[in-house]
Amino acid sequence: MFDFAAKRRWFLLTALILIIVGLVLAFTPGGLRLSWDFRGGFQVMLEPNEGTTIDTVNDKLGQLGYGGVAGGIQETGGNYLIRMGDISEDERDALKAGLGEIGTVVEGETGFISPAIASRTTRDAAIAVSVATALMLVYITWAFRKVPHSFRYGTAAVVALLFNIAVTLGIFSILSRLLGWEVDPLFITALLAIIGYSVNDSIVVLDRIRENKARGIGADYDGLVNFSISETLVRSLNTSITTVLAILAVYLIVGGPIRSFLMALFVGVVAGTYSSIFVAGQLLVMWEHGDWIKIIPGVSRLQKNKA
Amino acid sequence: MMQRRPTSKRPRFGSKGWALLLILAILGVSIWVMTPSGSSVLHRQEGNLGLRLGLDLQGGTHVVYRGVFDDNITADDKSRAMEAATVAIKKRVDSFGVVEPVIRKLGSASIDIQLPGVDVTEALSLIEKTAYLEFREVELKGSSVATLGDYLSENRTTFFNNSISGTRNFYLSTSQEPVAILTVSDNGSVSYTDLDGNLLDTATLAGSAAQSWMPALGKDSDGQEVPLTGAYLTSAKSQASTNQTTGVITWGVGIDWNSEGWKIFNDIAGRLYGKTSPQNDLGIVLDSELISYPTINQKSYDSAEITGSFDSKSAHLLAVQLTSGALPMPLEITYGPKSVSATLGADFTHRAFIAILIGLLVVGLFMILYYRLPGVVSAVALLIYAIVVLAIYKAIPVTLTLAGIAGFIVSLGMAVDANVLIFERMKEELSAGRTLKAAVDVGFSRAWPAIRDSNITTFIACGILYWFGSSIPTATVVMGFSVTLFIGVALSMFSAIVVTKTLMMLLAGGGFAKRLGLFGVEAKAEAKDV
Repeated sequence: MFDFAAKRRWFLLTALILIIVGLVLAFTPGGLRLSWDFRGGFQVMLEPNEGTTIDTVNDKLGQLGYGGVAGGIQETGGNYLIRMGDISEDERDALKAGLGEIGTVVEGETGFISPAIASRTTRDAAIAVSVATALMLVYITWAFRKVPHSFRYGTAAVVALLFNIAVTLGIFSILSRLLGWEVDPLFITALLAIIGYSVNDSIVVLDRIRENKARGIGADYDGLVNFSISETLVRSLNTSITTVLAILAVYLIVGGPIRSFLMALFVGVVAGTYSSIFVAGQLLVMWEHGDWIKIIPGVSRLQKNKA
Repeated sequence: MMQRRPTSKRPRFGSKGWALLLILAILGVSIWVMTPSGSSVLHRQEGNLGLRLGLDLQGGTHVVYRGVFDDNITADDKSRAMEAATVAIKKRVDSFGVVEPVIRKLGSASIDIQLPGVDVTEALSLIEKTAYLEFREVELKGSSVATLGDYLSENRTTFFNNSISGTRNFYLSTSQEPVAILTVSDNGSVSYTDLDGNLLDTATLAGSAAQSWMPALGKDSDGQEVPLTGAYLTSAKSQASTNQTTGVITWGVGIDWNSEGWKIFNDIAGRLYGKTSPQNDLGIVLDSELISYPTINQKSYDSAEITGSFDSKSAHLLAVQLTSGALPMPLEITYGPKSVSATLGADFTHRAFIAILIGLLVVGLFMILYYRLPGVVSAVALLIYAIVVLAIYKAIPVTLTLAGIAGFIVSLGMAVDANVLIFERMKEELSAGRTLKAAVDVGFSRAWPAIRDSNITTFIACGILYWFGSSIPTATVVMGFSVTLFIGVALSMFSAIVVTKTLMMLLAGGGFAKRLGLFGVEAKAEAKDV
């Protein structure tokens, strides 16, 4: 049996660093860029020339340097509706001129589009997520009320959730910086899915600890947590592998337009597996020993030296 | 032990039979709902598996409106009016229960609208109405009511009652539409126009008996005489009332004013009360149409209703238009209605469904390879689960957007997860030497607390997200997700606890009981029952 508890410092340190790095990456300028759904953008309606297809339009947009908008092109009554982020007056003219070579720009339906999603949504989403997390904490604390310190179990689950969200945001903001990915409504949906689902993994582990504690398993708390994690390991990995396989299948077939959605789900699932094994349970052990200070590398050696 | 068991530890043979019957009944009803038929019960008539798909997956109808403004309006006023119109249109569309529409301001004076579905005539007629509500009373010429004929024969350049400004609308008792609308500008020029603003040839109107209606003014709290309009409304609801003697049901729109509105309304009522007909009629005018002119028979009122020739639908529409506020300007269509492809790309739906199918296959295959016979059972349980969930989507009906499908997939994942939990527990019990029957039983009761707690946590998330989504009209993505997730999670518990368990118990009673290899466990020489 692998001694997870003995290495808890490193697991928790890694988690802490990932949470901080993830949040810093996400909330520093340039991290999470909002898509045109939130910021508004430029819309062109193009009446295609004879022989112009959606592929022609995509090629043309690629030539003009707007390859990324592919997938968002709609067909409306034989015309094409193309949307992109807000661009300058000169860029608009260049785009219209370029598209003019493969069709006729319909001026009446071309112009700046205001965001469909109110900006205050972001703030209210944060409030909603906080309320949901608080209620989860209350429920788990209540559901584990027969175990000593049930509040710790609630906290462990919520911290694991925070970890999952922070890692997803962090990875996404790296993609945003490197590849110009933007936060669109689909990414928001994926985040919601992670909030709704990823806490389950941790609950399964915590449930095992609860059950094994009642049965008096394990010489001490470390042993109890180790044993419980080992027991649930297969299940955790199986669930993740199945989900990841399904996500890959969808990515290969649909890909493009919903890549941000699938990417976020993928990261969320992997992070959820890590946090259920290496964060939730280890947090309980750390709390039991009360040796939080040991999270910082070198501290334990210092203490030993003193003694 | 703190396990809670959904069922008794050793179900009698009877309870197993009943559970199976229940599963078959639910499955039967679901398949019945899913099969298209002529009946509209539970939306069975709809094809495409009866699933309604959102704008992002299937596309819909595309219309562009342009606000019609005066030439001399300032850019500021124009942009303010456009904002107000966009908000009002959003409210109107939302009241129609349209899921995730696209309503965006385009350029300086246009509104780009995309609605899911193809039959949007009704929705468009709701959007287009300016819904400018005003109240009018008849204008007098001496002691009799002024008519259009009077105005024309005297070639008037001022109103008969020149203390009241605003237009004069001329109505015949046979029609709600005005025969003519008279505008007198500051420089004394007069123009007679029709409902759409086209100039009329006065020669054809000569001698018309259409009565002149002028704006009804009342004193506000400052003592100023102001016209009563829809701007003072706080709410409007469609309501039915039954005539006590004839039993005939009539529909109207009950309205409530703010305190200022009531003050003006009752000042008008007090002024008209007791006059001779038709001077005691209060004309209710919507977008220049005189929809009714009830008689004021009380000095003051504490409730008000717009009456007219309404049915339940038209009363509801009017209530929605009034509540969402009048549009600050008329709209004209500059594009469409044309059908538009999915916002996620033209052939997205097709690929998405293949993806879901393949995703299901991958999951099913994994379960069967890893868990053997129980894996087959869970695959069957998942299939039943998927059919029942889709039937519920059709019956409610739920409009599926990508976010909604995400909710469905997450719930499917949770259903799989519940099965994994149960099977892992079962394998442990089998390895510990229990009989199959005992292992199934204990496996379920041991897995239950984890399934319960994780599902309830997800319910909490759903509830909060739904509440959040419904409080903000633009956060509909969130609502679509939480609705399908909620339905899915509720059913996934049923799937794991009832369907999988019943099927497993049936197997445990059959010839498989001795062949533990089928359950992914090395056979023990002697199995002990507990």
